[in-house]
Amino acid sequence: MIEMAKEVLLRLVQESGFALLTWQEGVMLLVSFLLLFLAIVKKFEPLLLVPIAFGILLANLPGAGLMADPTGIMDTSNIVEGAHWYDTGVLRLIYTGVKSSIFPCLIFLGIGAMTDFGPLLANPISLLLGAAAQLGVYVAFLLARSFGFTVEEAASIGIIGGADGPTAIFLTGKLAPNLLAPIAVAAYSYMALIPLIQPPIMKLLTTEKERKVEMKQLRKVSKAEKIIFPIVVAVLCSFLIPSCASLIGMLMLGNLFKECGVTDRLSDVAQNAMTNIVTILLGLTVGATANGAEFLRAKTLLIIGLGLLAFSFSTAGGVLLGKVLYLVTGGKVNPLIGAAGVSAVPMAARVAQVEGRKYNPTNFLLMHAMGPNVAGVIGSAVAAGFLLMMFGK
Amino acid sequence: MDIKFQIPAAAGFLATIEDRLGIDFQIPAVNDFLTAVLGVSVVMLTLALIAVCILLISKIIRIVEAKATKKTAEPVQTSLAESGAPVAAADGVNNGEVDLIGVDEKTAAVIMAIVSQKSDIPLNRLSFKSIKLLDSEKGGKAK
Repeated sequence: MIEMAKEVLLRLVQESGFALLTWQEGVMLLVSFLLLFLAIVKKFEPLLLVPIAFGILLANLPGAGLMADPTGIMDTSNIVEGAHWYDTGVLRLIYTGVKSSIFPCLIFLGIGAMTDFGPLLANPISLLLGAAAQLGVYVAFLLARSFGFTVEEAASIGIIGGADGPTAIFLTGKLAPNLLAPIAVAAYSYMALIPLIQPPIMKLLTTEKERKVEMKQLRKVSKAEKIIFPIVVAVLCSFLIPSCASLIGMLMLGNLFKECGVTDRLSDVAQNAMTNIVTILLGLTVGATANGAEFLRAKTLLIIGLGLLAFSFSTAGGVLLGKVLYLVTGGKVNPLIGAAGVSAVPMAARVAQVEGRKYNPTNFLLMHAMGPNVAGVIGSAVAAGFLLMMFGK
Repeated sequence: MDIKFQIPAAAGFLATIEDRLGIDFQIPAVNDFLTAVLGVSVVMLTLALIAVCILLISKIIRIVEAKATKKTAEPVQTSLAESGAPVAAADGVNNGEVDLIGVDEKTAAVIMAIVSQKSDIPLNRLSFKSIKLLDSEKGGKAK
């Protein structure tokens, strides 16, 4: 009797998480605690960081197997004979939404339903700023290639410069799923850090005179223009780069829900309930891909560093084109709005507004910056589509 | 086409980084540069094309809307002129002939702005005949 009790206790200890815990899992659990602290206490992108951090926590619980893949749905290296699909870890099953691009596309639908393209329609030149702010994507691509990453991995690292989480996840899921966790964490972390990253670059590349420029009020955009815009963009972009059709198509469908005036219920669901549900599932499963053994490598640090460079070059690209427009228009464009061309909506536009007011308290750049900001969403989707067209299988 | 990074001063430093990170630093191949240049150009051209489309569509819509406004404005102006009521000026801007009864100009301006916003009709297309203060006790009338 005592022997049996001993055996049971021994087995309990041997199969408990404490005995199974590896050092990598321990470190990842600490990382998840840190991210939860940043999200809850410091309020860094809490809506995304809380599910991502908790995903990291769940995926690194020793022996829990929440990301187990015994039937080889995604990873055929650990197939267990006789296993059924329902033996698969619950987070692995949800992760199929990321792998199949369903979640990023649904998030784009929600973003479209939340976005007002009015400032862009009132000032179409903003689109060029949104395009210039994709510079970092290609600079980071070249740098990543220099460090020996494959073209698929380099393209996925480069897209961090687009400052668009769903786009980064979409492209990485297709081209380099092994890098999904570090790229997603880098993309969302830098989006949260925009108020720290962008201002020094904006200040470095502009003169005080340029930063003080007041822009004239935007014209009122008619309803017909707002309804026709998503249809035209969806058709045009998909014809030019078919591989961006899923992202641009969903973005524009969401926007059409918002603008057409006859689908208020659909627009409401896309903006709120659907986006919230998908954000939970996307964040949780992206975090769950941060497996300690794969995440804790020197390459992860390199990816995070390259992501920062990508972000910085994108900001610089937007500001530099802003300076060109300032010269071409005889000082009518404030180059600070170029920095908003990175697609982090609306944080980047807010940064342009805050920086502008520092030098001219009567200046109101927010609406002008929203143009390049929403153009950046289209720009990063087009950039991702191009990279997918070049390197997708 | 890959060329190994060969600047002597940087070579030692790079070798250390390469060892630490387990990577192999290379000057990107010509193909990579071409891809990057092509990528920037494609994004720029696509968005420029969208900008041109927006400009064209906006122009067409504004012309169509201006024509439609002109058509609807003409009969209204005629009927108002026949009735002797204050009418909007020919350029579409209200000439300011509004009868204010028990309302100061500032309040009237606020009321007109609210009506414009709620009805989604620009102020220059609205014509106010009169604004009258309602007497809640007597049950006044507004026009």
